[in-house]
Amino acid sequence: MPGEFDQYHVSIADWRSTLRQNNFRTRIVILMFFLIYCGIGILVDMYMSSMQHPHATLGQLFEALITFQIFPVATIVMLAIAGVSLLVSYSLYDKLMLLGTEYHEITPTTAQNVAEQQLYNVIEEMKIAAGLRYMPRVFIIDADYMNAFASGYSEKSAMVAITRGLMTKLNRDELQAVMAHELSHIRHLDIKLTLTASLLSNLSIMVLDMFFYNMIFSGNRRNSENRSGNILVVVIMILRYLLPIISILLLLYLSRTRELMADAGCVELMRTNQPLATALMKISDDHNQNRDRYSAEYSQTPHENIRREAYIFDPMQAGIESMTSIGDFFSTHPSLEARLAALGIKRKP
Amino acid sequence: MFLIILLVILAIIGFTIITYNRLISQIEAVRNNQKQIDIQLDRRFKVFESLINVVKKYMDYEQTTLKDVVALRNQAQQAQASGDEKGRIAAENKISDIASHINVVFEQYPDLKANQNVMQLQEEIVSTENKLAYAKQSLNDSIEIYNANKKSFPANIIVGTFHDKLDIDFPYWQLSEQKVAEQESYTVKL
Repeated sequence: MPGEFDQYHVSIADWRSTLRQNNFRTRIVILMFFLIYCGIGILVDMYMSSMQHPHATLGQLFEALITFQIFPVATIVMLAIAGVSLLVSYSLYDKLMLLGTEYHEITPTTAQNVAEQQLYNVIEEMKIAAGLRYMPRVFIIDADYMNAFASGYSEKSAMVAITRGLMTKLNRDELQAVMAHELSHIRHLDIKLTLTASLLSNLSIMVLDMFFYNMIFSGNRRNSENRSGNILVVVIMILRYLLPIISILLLLYLSRTRELMADAGCVELMRTNQPLATALMKISDDHNQNRDRYSAEYSQTPHENIRREAYIFDPMQAGIESMTSIGDFFSTHPSLEARLAALGIKRKP
Repeated sequence: MFLIILLVILAIIGFTIITYNRLISQIEAVRNNQKQIDIQLDRRFKVFESLINVVKKYMDYEQTTLKDVVALRNQAQQAQASGDEKGRIAAENKISDIASHINVVFEQYPDLKANQNVMQLQEEIVSTENKLAYAKQSLNDSIEIYNANKKSFPANIIVGTFHDKLDIDFPYWQLSEQKVAEQESYTVKL
């Protein structure tokens, strides 16, 4: 494919190190979410026990709670709630992803033409390369814009969906690269991971909110003797405004990390970085050229925000929809340049 | 003191069990991937048969090709039965050569190229050859994971203890040096 890389230096992608690096980042982020969640729980517990022991310092309360001298009721209850809601959302989530789109499933026997058969074939090839045990279900979404996403909590329940626009405008290799990216999401269990993280962050914000209002409306119980309680009130007030921002930044960071990992996973499966690079460039160009038309099409599809994070290409990056600030910190996907750079393809100066 | 020793012993046992089980599942993954290559070879033969049956109507040329493929397939199966891996791979490689040749032949027959069935089968040939290549890649990947795990510390101590069960030498799938030299100097002659 000469021509497409005229403006770029093409080198090889070091997918092993990209995978290792981003795996490490993911662990840190998930650990932080877990710590934040437990931290909020301990905070609630500390506040409750400061009522009973008005003269204890914060340090003493904290120590008593984590050594179980005072049983941390709130933290344990919160962990149980998180566990149950994770299980519930795991069982419902798959049905959510295709909500609002017009789609149909492809199987080897129902493929209507060579293009559909080819789509199924490239996915099967990538499944073999990835050593997956189960073939994911394949769906085509009837839309002109070029996009694709994967969903599923395990290999068994996995599915990939791809728009007709993507299927017709990419060549075989590029299609395969996109599907390898999606299968990598499945292989890395990204859907489970992002959902767990966002559920934890939502729950901690909810708990904090409930606690905050509870504190405001029961202000009479506060008194000047309970110093630890008073400090906690201030901490909670600050956290209530800070935590949502922190969790959103963390979630977006996680999402970008997982995208880079899926890109690296695609190189791992195909052992070449060029098809994915050209596919990403084509998708991006196509979105830029047809911005107005696609914008209308995306906005006519209900529940588009469910899929935004899961797409291979975030439509907002092409300026679609009303989001104005597309700074690096606030996007679900790394910029095209950053993704190409991670693939070993850099724009010539 | 007693409690600490007990905890350390429990931790060691736990680690041994986890490592043992992980290595066993990696060994089985390698074995499964070896068989995946057989599955793909078998699949390829079936695709070829149906391809040639369609194409047969268009040109006599394929009659001989059909016979070639069937003969090579028999050779491969006999070699496999008698444990002759090399002979089998040689026969399978010849089928690969025919595959690339068939696609070149297609270009000379506009009727044939436009035929829906043939287009589908052409896609199937490409896909089949890819699947075979990816199956080999996947085999090598699983061997890499297993070997890296087996040789790393402290897993290698556990491998040493359960030598029979855990220490299996899987060769990477590769071409012989002579074959590599041959393939490197190969150019397409039309």
